[in-house]
Amino acid sequence: MKIPGHTAVGSKTLRRPHEGPWAWLAAASVALSVLMLGALIVLLSVKGLANFWPSTLHEVILDDGDTVIGVPFEQRTLPGGEGVERRYWIANRDDGGGIWRWLSVPRLASDQTPDDLVVLERRHWGTFFGRLVAVRLEGERLTGEAAWLAMEQRLKELDALRQARQQLTRDDILPLIRRMEREPSSSETQHRLDDRQLQALQARAKELRRLQQGGVLVLENSQGQRQEQPLEEVLDAWRPNAMAWYEKLGHWGGELWQFLSEGPRDANTAGGVWPAIFGTILMVLLMSVLVTPFGVLAAVYLNEVAHQGRLTRLVRIGVRNLAGVPSIVYGVFGLGVFVYGIGGSIDRWFFDSSLPSPTFGTGGLLWASLTLALLTLPVVIVATEEGLSRIPLHQREGALALGATRFETLTRVVLPMAMPAMLTGLILAVARAAGEVAPLMLVGVAKLAPQVPVDGEFPFLHLERKFMHLGYHIYDAAFHSSDVQAAMPLVYATALLLVVVILVLNLTAIFMRHYLRKRHGAPVRR
Amino acid sequence: MSDPTSTNPLYRSRQRRDRLATLLITAGGIGVLLTVIAIAVFLLVEVVPLFWPGADGMSLSALWSAPGTSGEAEFRWLPHRLEEGVVAQASLAPLLWGTLEAAIWALIVAIPLALGAAAHSSLYMTPGLRARMKPTLELMEAMPSVVLGFIAGLVLGPWVERHLAEAVSVVLLLPLAMITLALGHRRLPVPVQRYLSLNSAALWLLPCLLLLVLAAVQLAPLWESWWFAGDLREWVEQRWGLDVQARNAMIVGLAMGFAVIPGIYALAEDALSDVPRNLAEGAQAMGATRWQTLTRVMLPIALPGIFSAIMIGAGRAVGETMIVLMASGNSALMTATPLDGLRSLASSIAIELPEAAPGGTHYRLLLLAALALFLFTFLMNTLAELVRARLRQRFRRSRGDT
Repeated sequence: MKIPGHTAVGSKTLRRPHEGPWAWLAAASVALSVLMLGALIVLLSVKGLANFWPSTLHEVILDDGDTVIGVPFEQRTLPGGEGVERRYWIANRDDGGGIWRWLSVPRLASDQTPDDLVVLERRHWGTFFGRLVAVRLEGERLTGEAAWLAMEQRLKELDALRQARQQLTRDDILPLIRRMEREPSSSETQHRLDDRQLQALQARAKELRRLQQGGVLVLENSQGQRQEQPLEEVLDAWRPNAMAWYEKLGHWGGELWQFLSEGPRDANTAGGVWPAIFGTILMVLLMSVLVTPFGVLAAVYLNEVAHQGRLTRLVRIGVRNLAGVPSIVYGVFGLGVFVYGIGGSIDRWFFDSSLPSPTFGTGGLLWASLTLALLTLPVVIVATEEGLSRIPLHQREGALALGATRFETLTRVVLPMAMPAMLTGLILAVARAAGEVAPLMLVGVAKLAPQVPVDGEFPFLHLERKFMHLGYHIYDAAFHSSDVQAAMPLVYATALLLVVVILVLNLTAIFMRHYLRKRHGAPVRR
Repeated sequence: MSDPTSTNPLYRSRQRRDRLATLLITAGGIGVLLTVIAIAVFLLVEVVPLFWPGADGMSLSALWSAPGTSGEAEFRWLPHRLEEGVVAQASLAPLLWGTLEAAIWALIVAIPLALGAAAHSSLYMTPGLRARMKPTLELMEAMPSVVLGFIAGLVLGPWVERHLAEAVSVVLLLPLAMITLALGHRRLPVPVQRYLSLNSAALWLLPCLLLLVLAAVQLAPLWESWWFAGDLREWVEQRWGLDVQARNAMIVGLAMGFAVIPGIYALAEDALSDVPRNLAEGAQAMGATRWQTLTRVMLPIALPGIFSAIMIGAGRAVGETMIVLMASGNSALMTATPLDGLRSLASSIAIELPEAAPGGTHYRLLLLAALALFLFTFLMNTLAELVRARLRQRFRRSRGDT
């Protein structure tokens, strides 16, 4: 029988009709999206983590006898096929030239990786590649392997001394000075006592400083030129070519830890990101403290208290749409209202003495947290409302029938049941806030904050200070540093850190929501 | 008979507490909602003096095109001249154009990918795979825009500038290969066909696509030397007079497309899944393929929902700051060439507002830009939300009928 309007089905086998090319393109678009996401994460992980691996040093001799010590970075074919060039990182900024050098690959006469090549991490002039000739320590001159051992020993001592001095300054000297500044009018004897204590402490710091001095490294660069390097300037030294894989792994872990726990050096192109991690976490914590009560309050009002009429529906749509308003607009609002408006007024009323230099009238931690709290408010409201609407009506009716008041129903029955939803909303809000950079550029992020917003001085948490942020650190290091190529590894590592933090937060939220849906079923839509 | 509880002091205190709490919640809730309205009010109040007839009052036409040095109107954004007191050249036109251009390129990248993905996952994917794929795509949305901007501006942009042929090769080869695959799939032996089925295509296409991309990159120098004398970039420059910049509108579009895809995908997928199942099943029972079901039955019904998804995506693309800031070169140009740089409203605000003196003309101009962004995205989202609400109501009614 022939069915009109129907494509003929083969008489022998009943086969599914083919879907045609569009269906395949649709399938490919899913795969392509996932592939892009995967490629991005893999790129960040590889580049971000490889940065800390002690890479092999090459000693290259060109056909004209020129010697270069460096790490090969990338290779490019010149346009028109006129040969291949390789870029080496040759470090040694104090030698005059740049820290990069392009070498024509066909011109390389020999390429070796000798074991005695040394990498020094220095406080000034960045990294050094070369050879260690000798160590002069307390009048002695050591060469060869003895020199290396003596240097390693001395570096450990120096590290301990440096930490002791830092601790002394941070925990004893600075608080004392601040106390003396704050209470200049205390009694004469007290003042003299303080003064004597300060002098003793400063003498101790000076002594520690003196102990760090002494000790000189005699180094030889790739050209065979010798130079002297004061040992106190050296932060770390290693011989990558002589290391076994487990030593390299240990070194990698150490470098990674330094990245996470230390402050930046060299205009944010080297060192670690600890202040940025700290600033990000602190700002997000403050924001959570601000946004959770208000978000929940608004959601409870919209869902439980307000009359469910046309107006409430419009307000609900409006709140939901605020989530789509660009973050930069919130930044503008924060700058105009919080910083210039409220902050300016606070300055005029309470900090009149320090004007015209602003205290609260400039971007700071408090204003940034407030702005981001406003930005994430819709996220929390929407998530909490969804959780509230998912609670079956008979739960509330049951509580009311047993004689509970509305408030009691809310606090004892409804809110505990909606708790996971609120938590999901908060996690999503934190994830969104941690990745936002644009509004922060207007309300208080700093390229390099001189002081951490939390310290031992009263009131311990300094809401008016500027702070560092991981996302802004990426933007700043990538676009405002003098040598972008040198900063790139660090930017990759910072980006990886940020992405990992945000992905972990989001995955937690996704799993929680999944669990919630399984437990409570689909939301009741209004 | 009198109610024994009404005279109970405990009962009365509970009632009082209840009333107090309700009052507090109402006050708090309304307070929060008013704060939200304050954003719009603040922007309006700050922008209005700009048009006040006075010393630095601006007219709408001056905002559009400032008088140029040679007398005719020029579209220039040179706000630092405002402070110097020279003829103001602060036309918002190039910024508007840059914003639109970036958003359009982002949508060109995002719409096909997101809608394709939505169609595939609502029609073809097995439920188990779909439950895993949706959160994965949600993770794309979570990617911080500063990281996307960094990758686009400092990694992808320079790579495309140096390897233009490879990039073009990837863009051209992928769809071609997919069409070939679609035609070739039915010629495969049946067990292989069943193993590499369309239902799980999102998984097994992953390694295939990866290999295809690698192949396209490897093949690029070959055809570049055949047809373009070994250097596509130079050829483009000679033939069309185009200079390929490392940071251009296409790169911005790609990165922002990446950021916009998950939003459009999620909403479009919802719209398609909300279509009553029985309609699709009816079409398939009549012998339609799943793709025919999609285009003839589901798409017409879900179209408003899909439009609202695109509108929300457009809203996000227009307001995105960091990606444009980092990947566009930030030059305020009025060209339609996708290979030139651009500057958007949002990135201008981010760069210039901290330096603009509060209360000055430059400051108010930037606030005007912020107001424009706010109104645009708010209107877009409200419209989209209304459309979605209406659609949902219609579905509920049609479900009630059957």
